[in-house]
Amino acid sequence: MARWIPDESGEEAALLESLGIPSTDALFTDVPKRARIGRMGVGAALEEREVVGEVDRLLDRNRPLSHFSSFLGGRLTSRYAPAAVDAIVSRSEFYTAYTPYQAEASQGMLRALFEFQSLWVEMTGLDVANASLYDGATAAGEALLFCRRLHEGSRFLVPASLPWEERSVLENYASGPGLRVEGIPYDDVTGRIDLDFVRSAVAQKDVFGVLADVPNGFGHIDEGIPELKSLLGDVPLVVSADPLSLSVLEAPGRYGADVVVGEGQGFGISPSFGGPLLGLFACRHEHVRSAPGRIVGATTDTEGRRAFALTLVTREQHIRRSRATSNICTNESLMALAFVVYATVVGPRGLARLQSTLAEKARTLASGLGGVEGLKAPRFDAPYLGDFTVEVARGTADEFLDRLLRRKVLGGHSLADPRPGATRAAERILVGITEATTEKDIQKYVAAAKTAIAAVGRSA
Amino acid sequence: MTFRQARWDEPAVWDLAPARPADAPPQISGIPEKMRRKEAVHWPELSELEVIRHYTRLSQMNFGIDTSTYPLGSCTMKYNPKVSEVLARRPGAADVHPFQPEATVQGSLEVAWRLERILARVTGLPEISLQPAAGAHGEYAAMLMVRAYFRDQGELAERTEVLLPDTAHGTNPASAAMAGFTTREIRSKEGCVDLEELRREVSKKTACFMLTNPNTAGLFESEILEIAEAVHSVGALLYYDGANLNAILGVTHPGRMGFDVAHLNLHKTFATPHGGGGPGAGVLGAGAKLGPYLPVPRVVKEGRKYRLDYDRPKSIGKIKTAFGNFGLDLRAYAFILSHGEEGLKHIARRSVLNSNYAAAQMGQYLPRPFRTLVKHEFVLSGAPLKAKGVRTLDLAKRLLDEGVHAPTVYFPSLVDEALMVELPETESKRDLDAYIAAFGRAISDTPENLHAAPRSLSVTRVDEVRAAREPLLSWKDLRDAAAKAETP
Repeated sequence: MARWIPDESGEEAALLESLGIPSTDALFTDVPKRARIGRMGVGAALEEREVVGEVDRLLDRNRPLSHFSSFLGGRLTSRYAPAAVDAIVSRSEFYTAYTPYQAEASQGMLRALFEFQSLWVEMTGLDVANASLYDGATAAGEALLFCRRLHEGSRFLVPASLPWEERSVLENYASGPGLRVEGIPYDDVTGRIDLDFVRSAVAQKDVFGVLADVPNGFGHIDEGIPELKSLLGDVPLVVSADPLSLSVLEAPGRYGADVVVGEGQGFGISPSFGGPLLGLFACRHEHVRSAPGRIVGATTDTEGRRAFALTLVTREQHIRRSRATSNICTNESLMALAFVVYATVVGPRGLARLQSTLAEKARTLASGLGGVEGLKAPRFDAPYLGDFTVEVARGTADEFLDRLLRRKVLGGHSLADPRPGATRAAERILVGITEATTEKDIQKYVAAAKTAIAAVGRSA
Repeated sequence: MTFRQARWDEPAVWDLAPARPADAPPQISGIPEKMRRKEAVHWPELSELEVIRHYTRLSQMNFGIDTSTYPLGSCTMKYNPKVSEVLARRPGAADVHPFQPEATVQGSLEVAWRLERILARVTGLPEISLQPAAGAHGEYAAMLMVRAYFRDQGELAERTEVLLPDTAHGTNPASAAMAGFTTREIRSKEGCVDLEELRREVSKKTACFMLTNPNTAGLFESEILEIAEAVHSVGALLYYDGANLNAILGVTHPGRMGFDVAHLNLHKTFATPHGGGGPGAGVLGAGAKLGPYLPVPRVVKEGRKYRLDYDRPKSIGKIKTAFGNFGLDLRAYAFILSHGEEGLKHIARRSVLNSNYAAAQMGQYLPRPFRTLVKHEFVLSGAPLKAKGVRTLDLAKRLLDEGVHAPTVYFPSLVDEALMVELPETESKRDLDAYIAAFGRAISDTPENLHAAPRSLSVTRVDEVRAAREPLLSWKDLRDAAAKAETP
């Protein structure tokens, strides 16, 4: 049994004695007999070294990314995090704290979150960022509800190319208030969203918000996005942006975005089989009282020194209850800390150089795969920064990826919605790159792809 | 009081490096001019040591469980075991991508599956999803499931209302409202649900009753079986907010109490770190009615293999990217293995023992509004302090000067000037006594000193009114405010 419940000195006896009761049974007389349970069936306690042994035994059944040449991409990445990030995130003054309700005792976390908010403001060109949401998809969901507070209507437009997971999360956020998420068709050659569709939808006066993603669900840059706001009038524009891309791409606030959301996991947070992640959210000053989530503000203490506190709390669930802008309570503060430490260690120029390196490697990979008979790479004729889409001419993406796996190549992930009945894009693969991808990895992928697609062809 | 927090004159991160002329980021071929960033992101270039020193200094101006007793009620601020931190950073846990093929992530899937099976036994609810990222996220997903359930029953048009007691956490009504329900509060009687009032209020309009048990007043709702019956008698569902599960581990569980669906907070009961406000992990448990509506994918075992199952036609779909917060699931799994059946039961016994002991002692200073047998937390009213011009807020700030964290304050709202205190099982008698003594010193101090508190922290009392009235929410706002101040 762990040493975490202190009773080595028999102190529980003293506590019981002080209360004048013989055992803790007397403390549970308020639980009716009919509601009692017997054994749960959890098993016996293990010593710490046994726990380590048991967990390691299970984890040993995983093949971590280092085992492969990995080309998994998309919103979640496996980019390298400098050790300095974990050194700070591992400071237990940070990680064993909770939400800084008592500002004076929590200036460290409040200041770090204020710096995080400031960074996302600088990257997006907007005015206000919140202190984090769960992940990129739920941040988009909160943005949907936010837009509805700013504008009447029942339709929320998103690219039809949006990853199916995000679409599903958005549909859930829309379902409560009875709103509809609608796909904007895209051009089959460039993947660009159809601006005429947006124009005519907006003209019907029932659209309350439009979301566009940069890069899009295919990994590509849609050159039409900067024109989008001019079609929308006062309908809010949400841009879902990869934060690394903003090191080289125009701040969406400059081309009319009213909200910028994103997934922050790539900034110093390990993929950890999908969580914890980091939801990013920024908006304009005039809309801040409709914004979801915690917000840290600067103020002063009684001696006039700079100090920080959670602010604009009347938006929040603990004050406003059912009329709150969101139900957010626990968010992803520690991941927000990782994000700002990562960006500061790497630096703005370092981030841009990293994105530039990824783009170069991606071009090498695309030209290699593009030369393989039976593959179309990149599938879309549009710029890209690291991720891009490959299409298999024969069989399905999954069959192709299975064959690559035999050569220890994780060749990307299928864009198909795995739920039965959904058949969307079963032949498309999102391919990604990291700074760790070597020339040799790329050659290995190209060679494996030739055999794999040929084999898929034979079996088909 | 001899406590002194570090007080660094630490500049903001952007003031650590001199401003330099902005330059354009490298050009990436194919990116059209209109989408190119013209100036690099406005952020300092610092050496690694400068960054480390900056954030290390900030950390020294922050309370955590590792530095201070942290008795925030309903937050269960227990010790976060170090072994879990080590395990979550293993390459086999951290360096695994959620989109890897199933065959390469059998370990992660097995951890998830095993944790789910254990949590099914702990909650008495057979169907578990680890997908929600926090407690409120779990509540929200559950309300979407309730909605989907009544849609399938053809009753959604009628069942538009979610009921909850006036002691409910604010997230409950907020989550229900986001899921499209109207909410109505049921008045409490002596800190618990007024059963007669509930019986009068439930109807065919009721979709769900949301309840925390033990509730936020620290009281076990002893009429829970009657409450469940009243709710079910009109065809409504009963939701369990698991924030306070710590008190009843192994004594009772949501399934036995009659709940249809529940969320648990792994970051409370199962000791995953609160992270300064997250990440959390809000597991969902459901019985037969709502099980089919849980988010996809579900982890299933087939023979000796584990698989992600997306074939759940009634599922609400996804509520988050990828799966749950696996890093926290793993920590919780290690925590449960370390405790075993007896250890989990011990958690409930000890946390309730700590709470009753501290309540008896601290109750000598301030009134306890409800019955004295409490569970994992208790509530005091700071109302008598008003006579000497002191408020609960002053007392909270004065406690900080003792090097301990304050309780949750001004909640639950049915208690005037409330303090809600939770001292989990990992607090030793010595630490309890130290906290009680600190509380005694704080409350006996002069009104002047209480108003002037805190004095031992990196800042004195923070002007939160000003923060809200003149919002300065980023570096950009600070620059704009400074520029405006310079303009005559």
